[in-house]
This record gives sequence, structure tokens and C-alpha cells, in this order.
Amino acid sequence: MATVTTAAPRIAVPGVLKRPGIRKLLLLALVAAILVPLADARWASGTWPAALTVDFTEPLTKASVWIIDNRDSHPLFLYFFGHISNAVVLCVRAVYLVLLAAGWAGVTAAASLVAWRVAGFRLAAGTGIAFLACGFLGMWIPTMQTLALMVVAVLASVAVGALLGLAAGLSDRMDKILRPVLDTMQVLPAYAYLLPVVLVFGMGVPAAVLATVVYAAPPMARLTALGLRGADKEVLEAVESLGTTARQRLLTARIPLARKELLLGLNQTIMMALSMAVIASVIGAGGLGDRVYQALGSVDVGAALAAGIPIVLLAVVLDRVTGAAGEALGDEPRPGGRARWLYALVAAVAVAVAGRLAGRLDWPDAWALNIAQPVNRAVDWMTDHLYSGVPVIGGTADWAAHFTTWVLDPVRDTLQWLPRWSVLLIVAALAWLIGTWRTALTAVLAMAAIGVLGVWTPSLDTLSQVLAAVAVTLVLGFATGIAAARSDRVERLLRPVLDVFQTMPQFVYLIPVVALFGVGRAPAVAAAVVYALPAVVRITTQGLRQVDPAALESARSLGATPAQQLRQVQLPLARPALLLAVNQGVVLVLAVVIIGGLVGGGALGYEVVAGLAQGDLATGLVAGAAIVCLGLMLDRVTQPTERRAKKGA
Amino acid sequence: MSTTPQNTTNETSTPETSTPETSTSGTSTPENSILEVSTPGTSTPETRKPPTAPVFSVEGLWKVFGPKAHRVPADPELAALAPAELRTRTGCTAAVRDVSFDVRKGEVFVVMGLSGSGKSTLVRCLTRLIEPTAGTIAIDGEDVRAMDKTRLRELRRHRAAMVFQHFGLLPHRTVLDNVAYGLEIQGVGKAERRERAAEVVAKVGLEGMEHRRPGQLSGGQRQRVGLARALAVDPEVLLFDEPFSALDPLIRRDMQEEVVRLHREEGRTMVFITHDLSEALKLGDRIALMRDGRVVQLGTPEEIVGSPADDYVREFVRDVPREQVMTVRTAMRTASADEAGSGPALAPDATVSEAIEAVARTGAPARVMDGARCLGVVDHERLLGVVAGTEQGAVAGAGKSKEVA
Repeated sequence: MATVTTAAPRIAVPGVLKRPGIRKLLLLALVAAILVPLADARWASGTWPAALTVDFTEPLTKASVWIIDNRDSHPLFLYFFGHISNAVVLCVRAVYLVLLAAGWAGVTAAASLVAWRVAGFRLAAGTGIAFLACGFLGMWIPTMQTLALMVVAVLASVAVGALLGLAAGLSDRMDKILRPVLDTMQVLPAYAYLLPVVLVFGMGVPAAVLATVVYAAPPMARLTALGLRGADKEVLEAVESLGTTARQRLLTARIPLARKELLLGLNQTIMMALSMAVIASVIGAGGLGDRVYQALGSVDVGAALAAGIPIVLLAVVLDRVTGAAGEALGDEPRPGGRARWLYALVAAVAVAVAGRLAGRLDWPDAWALNIAQPVNRAVDWMTDHLYSGVPVIGGTADWAAHFTTWVLDPVRDTLQWLPRWSVLLIVAALAWLIGTWRTALTAVLAMAAIGVLGVWTPSLDTLSQVLAAVAVTLVLGFATGIAAARSDRVERLLRPVLDVFQTMPQFVYLIPVVALFGVGRAPAVAAAVVYALPAVVRITTQGLRQVDPAALESARSLGATPAQQLRQVQLPLARPALLLAVNQGVVLVLAVVIIGGLVGGGALGYEVVAGLAQGDLATGLVAGAAIVCLGLMLDRVTQPTERRAKKGA
Repeated sequence: MSTTPQNTTNETSTPETSTPETSTSGTSTPENSILEVSTPGTSTPETRKPPTAPVFSVEGLWKVFGPKAHRVPADPELAALAPAELRTRTGCTAAVRDVSFDVRKGEVFVVMGLSGSGKSTLVRCLTRLIEPTAGTIAIDGEDVRAMDKTRLRELRRHRAAMVFQHFGLLPHRTVLDNVAYGLEIQGVGKAERRERAAEVVAKVGLEGMEHRRPGQLSGGQRQRVGLARALAVDPEVLLFDEPFSALDPLIRRDMQEEVVRLHREEGRTMVFITHDLSEALKLGDRIALMRDGRVVQLGTPEEIVGSPADDYVREFVRDVPREQVMTVRTAMRTASADEAGSGPALAPDATVSEAIEAVARTGAPARVMDGARCLGVVDHERLLGVVAGTEQGAVAGAGKSKEVA
């Protein structure tokens, strides 16, 4: 069906049908009218026909069994993967030991001093407090475990990403090859990366580090390439006109000119690595993520929060410090900068040694605050008082239940009730209307692949959650975005909130929603909404604010009311930004809905987790592949056409 | 300004066309004409400098962008096509078409033309920042197009340095390090290059700003840094690519005077690209006027203003205050016996506006004196003729540039 669809635009259309959208839809309808009865007659059934599915479970199970059997004997593992795995373990271990040897005082001092040199006193104080807070929460050891894993993963990601970025930045051919790959990797949920890595490396730290690297390297590569390519052409020409060699050009001009992008890449890589390092607890990463994972498994919100707070603190500190490093770039270097670095280093070492001599390497148990019990008491109180029976407004659990029965269930049932060809048709129509026939083709193929994989039903369940969450996100996000764009005060109030929310790893969002709504599909959707909302609000606000002021002014001078200005000028002109917001919203929502499998979201996310937990990698891998397909489909369906003159469609 | 001899043979100016958007004016046949300059009374080549070998010698230079660019200059039929036609037939755009000229030692050679006329491409071809498609370029007799990478790098490092329109400074380096950059890539030691850079920084008037970043400077100051960077490597030729067009008018004038001063002090050869006619007239010893990739006229400012080669050039120079460009040598007529004996005396390259002042003051025709010899006189009539642009015939008759329209 899809192939025919793509060929369609070449058919001549009667002149009456001027609007391309209508033309596309009519063509699709025509194609469908021919193909659907044929397909229906051949494989009549409501859901995806069994005849069209291929069972991958058996070969995958075989492959996984073979890998497990041969992991210790086959040369591929002995001489390649084995070395990688050992090297990773060794590195993480080494960093971990260094961190432990420095003691809590040494680590805190070193982190604060680095923050001081890079970002000034305020952030240094914040960093110190954040690290101490990790200790007070009794999470020092897990924090160090996560940190050790992160350090290794970030270094590897930066190395890999920078190399790929260098290749893509310097060679047009590499750029052409790498760009679509990196773009696609960017939209896939973190979960999709877990299983292939586990298949090769087994559960454990090496797998976690490698999954993190795969997830965190793309932004570095993209931004490196972007920075190298975006360099001011005239500067490069001037540098060339002075007789530089290619190497000199790269080292003295291209890389320094790209340093803003490089630092931004580092920032994004660190944030993605943290996010993934936490999620990778599912495949044995240990550390803070593992504590959250275990706690969520037993619905122990207090314990989850105790581990979640350090994650958030780490995220905020890392983001602010690397961000400040990027902003400080343009400034004049302060005199004596090197000497101060030296002082900082000496001070850090001194504190570490002092801590050692005092025999205070481990965080003293007496200082640990146990917040788990009070939090759990609070949650219990909430369960008793807020879950249901609150007069007039009902309770959170009531809301969740209503949301599930009134929104999620009908959407899911409708999707699953729809004949599969109509789902494909809807996907094709949406993708084609918003994008080009290429995006439509990819989307339809991805959707069909889900059917072929034999996970049509759970995928549609996931899809229904995504749709519901996206709808809520967009309504809330656009409304907030419009409000923020129209009022400076609202924007000022929102900005710090958005800043914090955007830096938090996906995993953390599950904790409060479990506290509020219990487990199930509604909490997963709620977490997804909260996670995707900041990005949508931000993009909407920026898009509306960047509307050409002259256009707005001329509308005002003609006497347009604020509502008219919004409807007739701002929204149409901000259309690209709004479409981008939809796209981002969909991608982010999917990522969290999948993770929601951990808190009873079911569907594909659950299958991955279950596959991991039961050692049934085949099921997990199929679900992972379906997640990839779903991610691709959703991204393509919402990917706006680039406004270029294109042949064909 | 025009201090160079007017009579030496000027280069070929080649007709017409290139660049997609402009249309050609009628002719498209390449026809090179030698510009013979002779004025009534003076036919002697009045050379002040002995003729030296040209610094740059460009012959039949082509730069064609597009698929299989090489066939365009090679095929006379394609080479003669108008830009739009060339584009539809071959998909190619000829930015520089069959351009030939010499840049003499110590002169300021200005290439001027509107945007899209190919002048910036031309100057980049000189050091092969853009690889020419056909033709020859020689620097001091050495073939630039035959140079290998190392040799070309040597050329760029030591012999020709360029100043760019948008400065092309490295934002992460201080002023001093930007200026020293050319020396740094040559491998000059840190102390020495900083010392030399500091000298040049002082020369362009940026003392005290050595440790600022380009981002903290004004446009004019940035261009001074760009100029200093080019000067720091002590090149044989300075190439300027519209260096002042991004600057405010007042600062632009300062910078032009700076260039005049530098040229006076050092006598360095300069190739100057501009789209500003007054800048060209002010700075140029000789001007090559480009249109659609071809040089339509090449000559001294006086020749360009006094005897435009075609309607395009005429239109171009219409608003120029002629009395400030034309010299009395062009404006004078033969003196009668009694006129040759009296009246205020003027040098042959005095401008007409100077003559007007002298004539107005004394009320008598002014004599044009070459030493003790009277070359001719200028009276009210001749001077007014220059201002009004009506003595065209006389000057053109004197044979300036015969140009193909």
C-alpha cells in the first residue's frame, strides 16, 4: 500500500483541486479504495493478521542463547567484546576508587572548586551544598557509583562524539551518511538502546556504560559537526589567505571557532548520560538509579525520593556548571587565571588529605538523615486523604481512574478496534499532510513493521497513552506558552521552573506521580506530560516571541484586538515553532510513556522490563524494535516539511 | 591622486558579462583594445618611476562556477555567450571572464564594480583562494597556477596578504594575537612575533588595545586589526577586498586616509577591491572597472571620468565632481603667443578645481607649465567645459580610451 501511495503524486490531478492537502488526501483515498477490499478479502480480521506477522522470538532466542553459551569461548567475545567489557569495568572501578579515596570531603571540595573556577562563587556554593545533601540523604555511596559510571561514560561519549563530529564536520560525505543516523538516534527513547547492549554484554556495568555512550554520544557528534560547519566562512578564508596548513586551520581556527557548540555538546552529553545512567539501572548500572528502581518496584516512595533528590541535584549542578562554562567563553580571561586553578587544585588536595588523616573517608552514618519514613508517612496520609473522597474535586486516585476509564480506555479500544489498514491510512494521511511523501512512507513502513513484529496490540496500547499524553501536553503547553509570550511576568516566573524541569532525568518524574496517583497507566501518562511540558512551553513561547515585531505592530496599527493579533498574526507566523513543539512533545512523551512500564504503564515498556527481568531477551528485543518503529513513526508523522522548493509532492 | 603616468599602455579591457542576474549590453565579442593616451601638447611618456616588471601579471583569466566549468573558456562559442544564456545552456556561471591586467610595483590598483561583477572572485584568484578556471597569473614572473601546495603557502605567507570586508578576525584571540597570527603560523617564536605585532599595532593606531578581543572593538578598530594582521607578515602586495564597505561613512574616510598614509610611507603595492566609485577615485593610481566579469575600462581615474569607454561607464561616473578628478593637462588648449608669457602658472597634474581658483583670482587664463616650458593654457571656457562635461569631444578626440561599448 505504501509504495503505491508514494508513486501517487505523479498522477495528473484535475485542475479544480487546487489545494495540495486535499489532493493528497483524495489520492490516498483512491489508493485505499483499491487496496483495502483486496487486503480485506485476503486476510479478513480486525487486528493485524497472523499471516502477515513474522515470529522473531525463536531466532532471537536462539541468538541470545548462542551468545550466552559462547560468551566465554568465541574469539569475537574473547578478543573484542571481552576487552571492551574489561576495559570499561576497569575504568569505572578506577574512578570509583579514586572518588572513594578522596573521601566525601575531598570530592565535595574538588567539585566546588571546579565550579568556582568555571562558574563563580554562587554555583560553587550550590555545588558544595548539593554534594553535602547527597551525603545527608545517606546516598553518598550510590552517588559516587553513579558519578564513576558517568565520568567514564561521558569521557567515552565525548571522545566518540567528537570524532564522529569531526568526521562529519570536515567531510561532506560523512556528513551525509551520519546526519540521518544521528537525527534518528536523537528521537528514539532511551529504552530502545538497552536490549541490544544486554544481548552482547550481558547485564552489568559494561552494558550500562555502553548503552549510555550510545545514547549520549549523538548530541556531541551533532553539535561538533554543526560547530565546525557553522564557522564564519570569511574567518576561515582569512586564515587560509595567510598560508595555513590544513592542520593549523583545524587547530587554530576551526576548533576554537566551534568551542561554543563543543561546550554545548558537552553539556547535552552530560545531561543525556546522567539520564541514561539512571535508566540503565534496569540493566545493572547500580548507583542512584538502582535505588530508585528498587524503591519503585516496591512502591516505596520515600526511598525513591531519597535517591531521586541526589539525581536531581546532580543534574542541576552539572547543567549549570557546564552551561556557565559556555557562557563565560566570550569574556576576557581574568588575569592570574592559571594561578587560581592551581590554588583550587592545591586546596582540593589539601581537603582530601585532611579528610584522610582525620579518618573520615566515608560519610558518617550519624549524619545521615532518613527521609524515607517521614516521606512515606506523608504519602500514606495522602493516600488516606487525597486519593479519594475529597469533597467536590474528588481525589487524585479518582482523577487517575477517571482519566483511565474516560480517556485512555476509549482511545486504546478505538485504536485496537480499528482495522489495521485504517490505522496505516491515518498515519499516511497525517504524515503526508504535514510532511512529504518520504516522511509518509517511512512512517507507514515503521507502523507496518510493528505489525509484522507481532506486537500490534501492545504497541497500540502504548500509542494510545502517547496520544492522550500529547493531547494534554499540547493543550497545557500551548496555553502556558501563549500566556508566557504575552506577559513578561509570567515568563519570568516560569523560567526557573522550566530550567529545573528540563534538566531532570526522565526517571525521576516517576517518583512524584507514583506518590500522587499510585501505579497504572494514568501515572505514566502524567509523568510523560510533566516531562514534555517544559519543552513545549519553551518552544511555543520562543516561537511566539520571535514573530516579526513589524508584522505585529502593523496589525496593532490597524486596530486588531489582542485576540485577533494572536489568531491572525502570531499563531500563523509562529507555525514552524508550534509544529516543532508538537514534534518535540511527541518524542519526549514517548520516551517517558515507555519508561512508565516500570510503574504499571504496561504495553511495550513493560515487555522490555519483563524481558530483562526474566532473561527472556527475545521478547524484550522485539518490544525494543517496536519502540524504535513507534518512535520513528511518531517523529515522521509530526515532522514538518522544510520550506524548500521540492520537486514532486 | 593620480600620480602615475597616464600615457603608458593600459591593459586590455575586455568586454562583457558574467553573473546570472545582469543582462549584457549588446556586444559580447571579446575585443581587446590597447588604450593609448596622448594629450595635445604632451605626447611624451611622463614617467616618474622607471617601468618595472609587474608584481602581478594576469592574462586571460577565467573563473567559471558550475559543472564541467573548464569547457566554457575553452570553447569560443560558449565563451562568447551572455551570462543568462550560458546559464541555461551549461548551468555554469562565469564570475570572471577573460580578464587581463598588470599590477605595477608600488601602485594602488583598484578593481571596482557593482556587486556580482566578479571583482571579489578576481582578487581571490590572485592567491588561488578560489582556483581559477583558465588563464595565467604571474607574481614577479612566477606562475601562480603552477605552484604546488608548499609554494602556494609560501606565497600566501610572505608575498601577498589580504584584508577582508568583514575582517575575518579570530574572536577567541586578543588583538595582539590576531595580528601575530600570520607570524605564528609561519613558525616565528612567541616573543619575536609579539614584538613585531606590537609594532604594527602601533603603526595602525591601536596602541593600548593589544589585549582586547575583537568583540570589544568598533568596526573601524576591527578593520585596523585586519590591516595590521596583513601588514605584520610584511607582504610584497596587500590585497583589499572591499575592506571599508561595512564601516560607517566617517570611519570609512578615516580608514581610506590611513591607507593613503600607509601607501605614502611604505610604497607597498596594493590591489584594492571596492564598489564605491569615490573610494576608487580617491585611492587608485589606476582603476579597472568591472561589469559582469569583464573589465570594461582600465585607466587612471582621470581617464575613467574624462573619457568613459562606454555608456555603462559614463552612467557610472556621471555624478563625479569632475573638476576634482580631471587635471589641467586634459583641459588645456594650445597657448597663443602672448598667453604663453603671462598668467598664473599651474603644474600639468593640478586639478581643474585648482585651476578654477587660480583663474577666478587673477581673471586671466592660467598657464600649464612643465618646468619652464608652457604646455598650454586653460581659460574660463575650457574649465567650465570640464565642469559641465561638454568638452568631452575634445578629450575623447585626444584619444583616451577607445572602448568597445
